Amino acid sequence: MTFPTIEFATFFVVVFVLSWLLMPHPRLWRPFILAVSYFFYGWIDPRWVLLLVGSTLVNTFAAQVIARSPSERMRRRALWGAIGFDLGLLGTFKYLGFFVSSTDDALDGIGLGSPLPLLQVVLPIGISFFTFQAISYVVDVHRGETRAASLGDVAILQGFFPHLVAGPIVRANELLPQLRTPRDPRAVLAGPGLFLIAAGLIKKTVVADELARRIVDPVFNDPAAHSGAEALLAIYGFAAQIYCDFSGYTDMAIGLALLLGFVLPQNFDRPYLATSLWEFWRRWHMTLSRWLRDYLYIPLGGNRGGPRRTYRNLMLTMLLGGLWHGAAWTFLVWGGIHGTALSAERWVRERFGTPRVPAWLAWLVTFHVVCLAWVFFRAPDLSIAFEVLGRLGAGGPSPLVTLPVVFLTVAAIAVQGVPPGWWRDAEAWVVARPAVAQGVALGLLVVAADAAVGQQGVAPFIYYRF
Amino acid sequence: MYPTGDQRDLRMPAGRVLVVVVVALVVAALLNSEAIVRAGEGMGNGPTRDAVLWAGRPLDDAAGAVGLHLPRKGLDLAFGQEPKTLSGTELERGSTAILRRHPRRAQQFPQPTRADPLHVLVTGDSQAEFVGQRMLDAAPDGLLNVDVVARNGTGLTRPEFFNWEVNAKQEIADRRPDAVVMVMGANDGFNVVVDGSAYGPFTPEWETEYARRTAVVMRELGSRGRRPVYWAPPPTARNEEFNRIYRVQNFAVSRAAEAVPGARYVDFYDGIGNGRYRNVTKIDGREVVSRQPDGVHFTRDGALTPARLVVESMARDYPVLAP
Repeated sequence: MTFPTIEFATFFVVVFVLSWLLMPHPRLWRPFILAVSYFFYGWIDPRWVLLLVGSTLVNTFAAQVIARSPSERMRRRALWGAIGFDLGLLGTFKYLGFFVSSTDDALDGIGLGSPLPLLQVVLPIGISFFTFQAISYVVDVHRGETRAASLGDVAILQGFFPHLVAGPIVRANELLPQLRTPRDPRAVLAGPGLFLIAAGLIKKTVVADELARRIVDPVFNDPAAHSGAEALLAIYGFAAQIYCDFSGYTDMAIGLALLLGFVLPQNFDRPYLATSLWEFWRRWHMTLSRWLRDYLYIPLGGNRGGPRRTYRNLMLTMLLGGLWHGAAWTFLVWGGIHGTALSAERWVRERFGTPRVPAWLAWLVTFHVVCLAWVFFRAPDLSIAFEVLGRLGAGGPSPLVTLPVVFLTVAAIAVQGVPPGWWRDAEAWVVARPAVAQGVALGLLVVAADAAVGQQGVAPFIYYRF
Repeated sequence: MYPTGDQRDLRMPAGRVLVVVVVALVVAALLNSEAIVRAGEGMGNGPTRDAVLWAGRPLDDAAGAVGLHLPRKGLDLAFGQEPKTLSGTELERGSTAILRRHPRRAQQFPQPTRADPLHVLVTGDSQAEFVGQRMLDAAPDGLLNVDVVARNGTGLTRPEFFNWEVNAKQEIADRRPDAVVMVMGANDGFNVVVDGSAYGPFTPEWETEYARRTAVVMRELGSRGRRPVYWAPPPTARNEEFNRIYRVQNFAVSRAAEAVPGARYVDFYDGIGNGRYRNVTKIDGREVVSRQPDGVHFTRDGALTPARLVVESMARDYPVLAP
């Protein structure tokens, strides 16, 4: 089930009412929220629920062993057993096909034929998200940063429907304490909740899907048929599209959770204002970057083993971060560009101190490095990515460079410059209006969003694929 | 965590939130009733579709009676959305005389060059996406300029959801292609109504009606023979039940192509794997996963084979495209 649909709207109204009615009775509320979350997840393919349940059972069991066993050896075994299971799950469903076909190609390349049977593996939606969440849970229990929770709590932590499919990646100590105290129905954070849902809807339908349809998809489908101006606008357009698509989803997820009484971690903080790659990663997909930092970069040694090891760790972390998005060379290059740029920034800082460049120049360079990496992220293969970049100097007519496309691209990036306080004031202003006026305004916005989408319907969120 | 800081002025009781949400949905449902019915028409058979149509149709009648369709129409205009449905079109109801075969005249089309490549519109349902993208790899360099417009979930058996006759006229007027490739048919298992009676996909009436509708859209895409239209119905799928329908569709499309000037039938069904479904195919000596896990759609790698079949068919009209 995807958020901006009739099915989901109906589902959510029912869940909202029942959730608040059952909230004072945790013994009823927990199985209820779990059941509706599994229903939400199983809407497309009920078999995926089994996968989620399996992951929950294994990780709960491992966490209990870690928490109860006095033997460190046993605790470590349980930890690595759970991590191995989680990565095995991810590897099987996400990377096996890529691994087999790449091995096959390599063997074929040296004249050994194609000895491996190619596989067709269905990628369950959200597997990367709930697997990373499971890993963070068992590691946190092992580190003593969170207590081992009951099976029901872990099941809700992993399966809570607002964040299940595309994040944010929630940590146990962020959600479990909220599950232990009934939420107060008299004080729902509706201002930001409704605001985020509306913002997410507009970002997805009016900006992301429009940019995809009008410029990004045509250029990336057939770069040779487009001019340099179109290729450039498609690159900027994709930067705007992926931000609005992904942060639009996250906005809706956080907004829906707020209406149910739960606070999820922020996932985006105006990323295109960043004046360095380091800062970009503190603003973009924040829950993934902190996951990579805490469960990969730091365990690899972080910056503790001298400059060379630091650069290696940075590069490895970003390459694996790229691979997390999908089994493809394009994602590896994307991660490689970020890893190289982060290492280069660090090297410059260590060697020459913080460089004194004007903020606008730092912003310009950062933004364009990010855009360069997006070309590889978006392209279906490396040759198309290079073709798009190669078109940048090409002349010719540019019928796709239109005022609406330029406006949407610029607006999606420029709106990040609005001070957060203004949004907060707007939320407070909305909350102070009569309920009916709020409802009418939200209803009109839904109609406008649907009109923007037109009859082709809402395109799937980009991050559903990961 | 979000939001942070003092939040007192951002809170509301849950009951009030419910009022806001319900009012919003009622307003949206009333103003959007046509779109709700259309969305219901576009759903696959099942309880969700029944429920949406059961609630949507009376709501739409009531909303239409008091002029509540107007704001949405205004918004559609503002967003440049053209209506994709229209009552009284030939697609919904018309004579089978369009299927009468005419003596074939040899047609000459201007040959593409690298300076003046052929502008091809590749359209249809979701299957059109990868096939269209791979046509550039299937044709000699620089001779094609491909525009891919996939209308996901559409077909010929539900014109009340998406009318391909209306869409064909709009696309041709907007894009003015030199040639059209249509890749479509996997969403067409629905009954069709002919003279007030409903017929299922395995009846002769369904087959004739499908051929008639195909011919109507072929004629519009080809502007009555002015440009060639290459129409590819579905290839074999993993599911045998689907294949039974696809066989009928392939026959119907080949019949329509014989009757419409400039129309060509492209046979994915027998032309790929000799009519046998396979997940993995050898392309240029290399094995690739050619179908997506749904057992219907091509993967991007696998779409090269159907794209080559299309280009092969085009090469009969444009010999320079021959490999």
